[in-house]
Amino acid sequence: MLKNRVIPCLLLQNQGLVKTIRFKEPKYVGDPINAIRIFNEKEVDELIFLDIIASKVGRSPNFEILQNIVGECFMPLCYGGGISRLEDIQKIFSLGVEKISINSFALKNIDFIKQASEIFGSQSIVVTIDVKKNFLEKYKVYDHTRNKITDIDPVEFAITTQEMGAGEILLNSVDRDGTQGGYDIDLITKITNVLSIPVIAMGGAGKIDDFVDAVKKGNASAVAAGSMFVFHGKHRAVLITYPEYQELEKRLV
Amino acid sequence: MEQGNYQICSRCVMDTTAQEITFDENGVCSFCHFFDEKIKPDWHRDKSGYQKLQKIVKKIKDYGKNKEYDCIIGISGGVDSSYLTYFAKKILGLRPLVFHVDGGWNSELAVKNIENLIKKLDIDLFTYVVDWEEMRDLQLAFFKSGVANQDVPQDHAFFAMLYKYATQYNIKYVLTGGNLATESILPASWGYNAMDLKHLKAVHKCFGQVKLKTFPTVNFFQYYFYYPYIKGMVIVRPLNYIPYVKSEAMQFLEKEVGWRYYGCKHGESRFTNFFQTYFLPVRFGYDKRKAHLSSLILAGQMTRDEALKELQRPLCDEKAIEEEKIFVSKKLGITVDKFETFLTMPKKTFKDYPSNYRLLQLLRLISDIKRQVRYKWLK
Repeated sequence: MLKNRVIPCLLLQNQGLVKTIRFKEPKYVGDPINAIRIFNEKEVDELIFLDIIASKVGRSPNFEILQNIVGECFMPLCYGGGISRLEDIQKIFSLGVEKISINSFALKNIDFIKQASEIFGSQSIVVTIDVKKNFLEKYKVYDHTRNKITDIDPVEFAITTQEMGAGEILLNSVDRDGTQGGYDIDLITKITNVLSIPVIAMGGAGKIDDFVDAVKKGNASAVAAGSMFVFHGKHRAVLITYPEYQELEKRLV
Repeated sequence: MEQGNYQICSRCVMDTTAQEITFDENGVCSFCHFFDEKIKPDWHRDKSGYQKLQKIVKKIKDYGKNKEYDCIIGISGGVDSSYLTYFAKKILGLRPLVFHVDGGWNSELAVKNIENLIKKLDIDLFTYVVDWEEMRDLQLAFFKSGVANQDVPQDHAFFAMLYKYATQYNIKYVLTGGNLATESILPASWGYNAMDLKHLKAVHKCFGQVKLKTFPTVNFFQYYFYYPYIKGMVIVRPLNYIPYVKSEAMQFLEKEVGWRYYGCKHGESRFTNFFQTYFLPVRFGYDKRKAHLSSLILAGQMTRDEALKELQRPLCDEKAIEEEKIFVSKKLGITVDKFETFLTMPKKTFKDYPSNYRLLQLLRLISDIKRQVRYKWLK
């Protein structure tokens, strides 16, 4: 396994996979089962799978799709989307998912992180924090269910989630999402400076150099990417790729 | 079929599993005769063929002078289209846009082959991803219909989108990897024209449930008149003008672009692989290898003995195919038990559903007459 994990992140919208740009313009990229099967064969270390609609419409995770996915997935899987009850978490773990991610519900009820981590263990509870700059260019937590920038400071919020028992933070830059122009290293550094738990950087990866920057300059423990693993070239052609393992090993020492 | 009526061609390896086959007094089959009489005279793989190709290439280059791309190539990740892409860019000096239609069944090998090829050749790629829910529903409808050609949805979407995209972006020349060296024989009784939209829609109307809103289609008028005569689209099959040898092409691609083989012809699609190595032989007794190997025999790339030996090998690995059956069923959203019923249900042919068959026959007749008249004039 790599010292710093390099994790493909797949977004589920209804039945199919999509990829967004700054959380907008979802482009259909295919069937989740096939995509996961291909990533399997590429021997990817870990996978993040986020249902981007569930919380927005206020429904629970789609357990049927999740079950199909887990059946195909040979690598550890982190699932996020629509989780607001401890029973949901229980059910997801019983399907064979290793980690769950809580995002919007953490904004509503931070105690839920505490309850979940006490019952299921911190190592399996990830909190996803979406961050967007406001009109004053200040980093703020973004609530995707309301399409709104909140007043919450991401650094303070990250500290709170750590105190509540989150085992890992998935830090996502809304402004960089889908742009492939590089991670927001400034944001990553701000968060990694104050946390002791691992931070997965997400939003903006376009090349291996970006992974290196997130890890070496930003001190991220792991990096996640969407577009980079599903698009290719100037036409943004849908093509599932993953860098050669040796290349990643060489660059991420 | 009764065992007593079984016969295999004395020159190639086609046999009576192709219903339309007939044999002469020497036991040579009608496919071989068709090849000798209709295909071979027009098939030049020597210098004259290459000169002909050069003339076409010049036309393509002139046409594309001030354009970003001078032609478009449909690619699957398989050997023929991969080699064609290499040949077009590196040998012929063309500037192709590579186009891929993702029907939801890509194998890892297929996507990796495409990735290696376009990166190594520095070619632009465009893909169209067919909506899986529509594709799934259409494929399921075809299984429920009981017909043999289960590859219709994939093939139809592929060409419909390729042509649509080519005309939309004003690219007149469409290069395909279709070739006579490996595909000169294909019994009509083993399948049916995938481009017949009337047939596709009829099957879907009977057994489909999801509305086909975005599924790419091409109708009779578009396919036979609009694209070729109104838009002036030209389909070119460059591999027919060169001594294309599949085994050599594979070795070459492996060495040059890190291309990898996927086990059988059209194995780059997990569905086609399953369909050809399991479903078609088990349900209908059709072994497509016979047509591929016979094509290679007629192209002088394989001996009959070698082909017979190849046919002795099992079509598929039993354990692997059982796993594939589970995967295919899951993808189609049905149980394996339900899938098993498709293997034993009453057999149907395309004639059991509405189609443009008569229209197509008429078109073929007109084209035959046109060809004969042309020959007479030339003489």
